[in-house]
Amino acid sequence: MGRPLNPVLIAFAIAVLLFVVGELVSPGFAAYSQIINVLRVSSFLGIIAAGQTLVILSGGEGVDLSVGAIVTFGAIVASRVIDGQDAMVLWGLAQALAAGLALGAVNGILIAYLKVPPLIMTLGMASVVKGLSLVYTKGQPSGRAAPIMVRLVSQETVFGIPGILWIWLALMVALTFILRQTTFGRSLYAIGANRQAAYLSGVPVKRMVVAVYSLSGLLSALGGFFFLGYTQSVFLNLGDRYVLPSVAAVVVGGTSLAGGAGGYVGTVVGSIVLTVLQSVLVTLRMEEAGRQIVYGIVLLALLAAYGRQYRLRQ
Amino acid sequence: MPYLTMSGVRKRFGGVVALDGASFAAERGEVHALLGANGSGKSTLSKVLTGVVAPDEGRIEIDGQEVRIRGPQDTRKYRIAAVYQELSLIPQLTGMENILLAYEPANSLGFIDRKGLERAVLEVAARFEQALGRRIDLHRPVETLSPGDQQLIEAYKALARQPEILILDEATASLRQAEVEALFQVVRELRDKGALIIFISHRFQEVFALCDRATVLRNGQTVGTVDLAGVTEKDLVDMMVGRGAVSEVREAPTPPRDDVVLRVRGLCGPRLQGVSFELRAGEVLGLGGLQGQGQSELLRVLFGAEQASAGEIEVAGRRVVFRHPRDAVRHGLALVPGNRAREGLMLGRPILENLTIASMHRRRRGPGFLSARREKEAADGAVRSLGIKIGHLSGPASTLSGGNQQKIVVGKWLLNKPRIILMDDPTKGVDVGAKAELYRFIRELTQEGVSVILNSSENMELLGLSHRVLVMYEGAIADVLEGDDLNENRLVAAAMRVGRPA
Repeated sequence: MGRPLNPVLIAFAIAVLLFVVGELVSPGFAAYSQIINVLRVSSFLGIIAAGQTLVILSGGEGVDLSVGAIVTFGAIVASRVIDGQDAMVLWGLAQALAAGLALGAVNGILIAYLKVPPLIMTLGMASVVKGLSLVYTKGQPSGRAAPIMVRLVSQETVFGIPGILWIWLALMVALTFILRQTTFGRSLYAIGANRQAAYLSGVPVKRMVVAVYSLSGLLSALGGFFFLGYTQSVFLNLGDRYVLPSVAAVVVGGTSLAGGAGGYVGTVVGSIVLTVLQSVLVTLRMEEAGRQIVYGIVLLALLAAYGRQYRLRQ
Repeated sequence: MPYLTMSGVRKRFGGVVALDGASFAAERGEVHALLGANGSGKSTLSKVLTGVVAPDEGRIEIDGQEVRIRGPQDTRKYRIAAVYQELSLIPQLTGMENILLAYEPANSLGFIDRKGLERAVLEVAARFEQALGRRIDLHRPVETLSPGDQQLIEAYKALARQPEILILDEATASLRQAEVEALFQVVRELRDKGALIIFISHRFQEVFALCDRATVLRNGQTVGTVDLAGVTEKDLVDMMVGRGAVSEVREAPTPPRDDVVLRVRGLCGPRLQGVSFELRAGEVLGLGGLQGQGQSELLRVLFGAEQASAGEIEVAGRRVVFRHPRDAVRHGLALVPGNRAREGLMLGRPILENLTIASMHRRRRGPGFLSARREKEAADGAVRSLGIKIGHLSGPASTLSGGNQQKIVVGKWLLNKPRIILMDDPTKGVDVGAKAELYRFIRELTQEGVSVILNSSENMELLGLSHRVLVMYEGAIADVLEGDDLNENRLVAAAMRVGRPA
């Protein structure tokens, strides 16, 4: 028995395979511009799933089901403040991020100090934030993205790559560095792998949990801000579609749901796999119902394959 | 022909021999004490009888028939029941529900005879009510009952089975005097009806009050069985330790310096009742006594992992209050916890991270950046100085042997240059070679002026390493042994409170 394959490599191979399948079914699917387009769509999921990665790595049955609602809320806030003016972009971004951070911090504080189970806490938070969105907009979201935000997502820069992809790449590099080369990252893996041992080694477990959920809120709002550049205007269920895919992207990227093992590069690849898969199914002209079923089966097959890997490792 | 005979019982747990050909024989109609020092095998022997532990070798006969006890079906068949110190109740269920849960006295069709069972439980409850002078409500969730009442519910559970053989393994630990007496009264009634009761307790007073005979175990072997009417506490201690046993020649440890590094006054908390002592620089202070007398809790409170309810702690002359282990770490304390896998290591993470986690803040730059090279140098240093045998620093800690894992736990603290190391049974499940290295290491540390508080369930280890031993009993310091008193007889006698009111 050799070394088990790295789940990130498996996911990467699957992404490539999906592009090949797409190209066979519909020539042009794997053209450079098409690949860039798929990556662009992946980037929103990837940024939102960044926070989810931190939450899942932190263990303690950690999961953040409020990401979708916070994505929407971030986009709503940004859209209303910015309202099509480039000059207001930074102010709008700051307000959206502050809102996301605050909502995430509430998640973290209740989970860490009042021991509310993460699943329940973030599910409840999702509902509360949806309510807040309604109150804030009175049911009628207003405003729109600024031109500079639209350009960031759609205008090509060097190598025909839009700005959003450079930002995503920077996020990947930064987050990977933080996970591997800082006390924060080491503490995060430690509390995910064994909270008791981490605590007895002097790691401030509760503060870490609060930080992780706060960051998840912040990154969700950031995702909402960028997604606004793609949709240009907001609607009240804008972020809903990202809740479960954000968890799936993390897991497909090889991060253990139990916490303490994995990383953000895996999530990036996982986000791409999920997006390409959707796109291949659309190219196959499959009905919505069929797409959903195949999507679910592929996810299950992938996770079963990983489970086997982990067993072999024992 | 005794009713119950166990002979040639052997059991190894990994490298540790728990039972080495132990034997036991007892009659119907007696209460028989099972005695022995820490690690003598008395709990293992009782668990062989309840099928919890499968012996490697050995023969059990009940009523002249050889039997095999593999699990609940067999204990039910031979009517063996046990009450342990650890509770096995489900907190949200009522007493009655908890008791019924444990039974499936099916009739021939496989139905549960709930009515008959409830009747048996109520009979037991009525007997206790009479003995105790009050009724324990069986229809309240057990979490709302006092610890003593919960323990009695455990006893109901065992007694409702109408056992022929009843094992009480430290079952009186959380009972008050009146409750103990009620339990004893019911047990005596059971004995008079012809049942055999096996009684394990660290309280000699109870042993003499309740039991007819006693069998003493030492190092997994049976020393002998005596009639309790004809022996003293002192005689029993001699049997437990070995008559006239002399401690191994101790390597004279470096005498500690005069400066007090830790002073504890009147410390109360979880299972602690007013602990006071001083620790000097370069001293190894042993924590002895029977296991579970508050030794682990004391270490955890000192380390800030549990909060004291009263008392003072001074480190290097300054009053401190530790709210989190981090505070203790900042003051130069370190804890090698009792359960390596659960509390000491992140088994799935690389060895390097396990070694550096407690000290990385000392090497960080700016807001928390770590240099891969410096982290690796630090980890390499610990690996070298402790002689840890590893494949690669990036391999998971789970791949190491028990001894090397324990060295990782010690090593992570060395990188922090601690002044006081708290060790909770550090050589449990560690092979002989690694043990010797850990001993050598403790001596080296003390030569450098580091102080160690060592809790150990192995008496010889405690006597061989410590300058002084605090003997703990039910959350308090019962005795302090030093100098010529550091021998096993004195240690065991102090642990069992011989010659003192319990």
